[in-house]
Amino acid sequence: MHEVTQLMLHNRAWAAEQLVEDPDFFSRHVADQKPVFLWIGCSDSRVAPDQFTQALPGGLFIHRNIANLVQPEDGNLMAVIDFAIGVLMIDRIVVCGHYGCGGIKAALAGTPTTGPLGEWLGHARDVYRDHEDEVNAQPDEDSRTNRLVECNVRDQLLHVAGTAPVKAAWAAGRDLQLHGWVYDIRDGLLKSLLDIDRNTVLAGVGAPQRVLV
Amino acid sequence: MSEQNSSSDRVVASSGFFASWRSDLPASIVVALVALPLCLGVALASGAPLFAGLIAGIVGGIVVGAVSRSPLSVSGPAAGLTAIVFAAIEKLPSYDAFLLAVCLAGAIQIGFSLTKGGVLAEFVPSSVITGMLAAIGLILILKQLPHAVGYDRDPEGDFSFWQPDGGNTLSALVNLLRNDILWGAALIAVISLAFLFWWDKARPKEGPLRLLPGPLVVVAFGIGANSLFHAVAPALEVTKSHLVNVPVSASPMAFFALFRLPDFTAVSNSTVWTVALTLAIVASLESLLSVKAVDELDPKRRLTDKNRELLAQGTGNLVSGLLGGIPVTSVIVRSSANVETGADSRLSTIMHGAWMLLSIAFIPFVLNLIPLSALAAVLIATGYKLAKPKLFIERWGQGMTQFIPFVVTVVAILLSDLLIGIMIGLLVGLSFVIWRSLADVITYVETAESVMVRARRNLYFIHKPQLQAALARVPDNHTVLIDLSGTNYVDLDNIDIINAFVKSAPYRNLRVVVKGDARGKLAPLIFAPLTRARAT
Repeated sequence: MHEVTQLMLHNRAWAAEQLVEDPDFFSRHVADQKPVFLWIGCSDSRVAPDQFTQALPGGLFIHRNIANLVQPEDGNLMAVIDFAIGVLMIDRIVVCGHYGCGGIKAALAGTPTTGPLGEWLGHARDVYRDHEDEVNAQPDEDSRTNRLVECNVRDQLLHVAGTAPVKAAWAAGRDLQLHGWVYDIRDGLLKSLLDIDRNTVLAGVGAPQRVLV
Repeated sequence: MSEQNSSSDRVVASSGFFASWRSDLPASIVVALVALPLCLGVALASGAPLFAGLIAGIVGGIVVGAVSRSPLSVSGPAAGLTAIVFAAIEKLPSYDAFLLAVCLAGAIQIGFSLTKGGVLAEFVPSSVITGMLAAIGLILILKQLPHAVGYDRDPEGDFSFWQPDGGNTLSALVNLLRNDILWGAALIAVISLAFLFWWDKARPKEGPLRLLPGPLVVVAFGIGANSLFHAVAPALEVTKSHLVNVPVSASPMAFFALFRLPDFTAVSNSTVWTVALTLAIVASLESLLSVKAVDELDPKRRLTDKNRELLAQGTGNLVSGLLGGIPVTSVIVRSSANVETGADSRLSTIMHGAWMLLSIAFIPFVLNLIPLSALAAVLIATGYKLAKPKLFIERWGQGMTQFIPFVVTVVAILLSDLLIGIMIGLLVGLSFVIWRSLADVITYVETAESVMVRARRNLYFIHKPQLQAALARVPDNHTVLIDLSGTNYVDLDNIDIINAFVKSAPYRNLRVVVKGDARGKLAPLIFAPLTRARAT
């Protein structure tokens, strides 16, 4: 059977099952969305946040890109953060990396450097440059990748903390909290790296502990 | 994933009711020949007039066949009802009052059909159905072996372990060795069996012979061999008591006088009604099981409308009772003989009824030349097809959850009877279902300060021990999330357990939060703070 046919059938089955479980499911969604989390994660198909957190539709406001990078010049993500904090009034933001991230591996390898992908990964290569000593101190390829995954989450979370909407929310006295996590593909578990709230001194945020060991 | 070919373009459109007569005609004759001694045997074992068994057979073919939508099922008087019928005839004031009970049973079955009772058949697992078929195959072989060698003390068509003659299936086989074997009968049976197995393999794929059913040859051979014995070796001749024994009437008028009407005045007799209800229930169960089993034997795997079948069976019993016959059900032995001889539509079962009617009316003396041992050979071959070793090996390969209910059903039917055996098989099958549904229904996870107890599926009383065990693991001084968001039903037994846990929480420094089901129906029943089951 054609993949598209299967996909469409699964969609029909899913919609029917939601109605069986909860007849008001779709009518509630028509009215509004009130997600609790803004999730910034990697595009990797194995890292599906609403599945491994058992979140239902309406629970996570999700942005995914290669290597979960947060760049001030990325208008897409900046609009997402703006909307999530300013309109959806979300107070929990997660940046989540994952074990064996392909984008991070490419940044370590230094290729590609050209084309849209190469340019995008330039931001990840920047992270590598800033943490080169620590990453290179790891004994093998996998450990270097995973250490860079962790350092990357830290750096990107700090980028989130530096955005205007986050600063504005803290200035307004909101209890906005930022969480840096990694998802371990080997056991399916989320592991916490660091948390940032309005009282955190950003200049004092050091390298996170190692969790992908 | 690759595109799957659709092979439907090879399906040949059938043109009408008589389209498959070439396959149905030979099968109908074989089934009629096999049915004759079974009808007589069941009538004898039921304590009813022999002719009543033949009426039931004819009605089972023509009337049930006409109304039913099962392509291959054959109906007629059933071994499974003999005990009930025997007791009922004893208990009721007259045989004519019993006939009224048969009519009423038919009417009740039509009622079952209208209330869609036929769906019950679908709840029987296929391991139990194939177990039933295998058991019937084995019984057929064991019960027909004595008939094959001319030992006819147990009536034809008896299926229960404990026989009306006081012995049982196995003692009959032992007795058989102690008694004189009729060598003529045995000779016919052995040659017939050898021929049937050979013909099964050697039958040509092309030409007119391809449609010749082995059983027909065997019956003709049996008659021929016996007349040969009569002529040249009188010591071997099979005599009247081991031949088919259809009542012969002097004239067509005398024949029609054998039919009789029910005693309608017995309608006020409460026993008539209890007999009717018992017959209706047992006959319906047997028919549904048989039809379901025959669907599994169908090479084309067609699915019979079970409610329609109840209507057909009800109509059959109504008519059989009105004409003086004993009750009918769908019967597996005749049905599987029907399948084996290549029938393709219900034209076969209808014609088998017609052949029985015509042959009894016009050529009973020819029927009475057929040695029972030739028919025993046909039934033993059918039994072997139902209980092939291959079938047991296949079930073994499907794992214990299939093999155990299958074997239990086989043994239980062999040692008791059809319905009791099926019930035992069903219980075993059901206990597998419960055992499977007990596994992994609760997820327990724990972090340094919090615990989640999550129901993955709906919780019923059978899951109580698992829920209790999970809650018992919760250490003191923790935050506990009881997650029911994966369910849409949790029964009160389990709600009680959760509420008891909530009550104990303050004494153990636990903070309990419950996430209700998606529909929010459980929320009012639980005495704990609820967190939302959904995000919006």
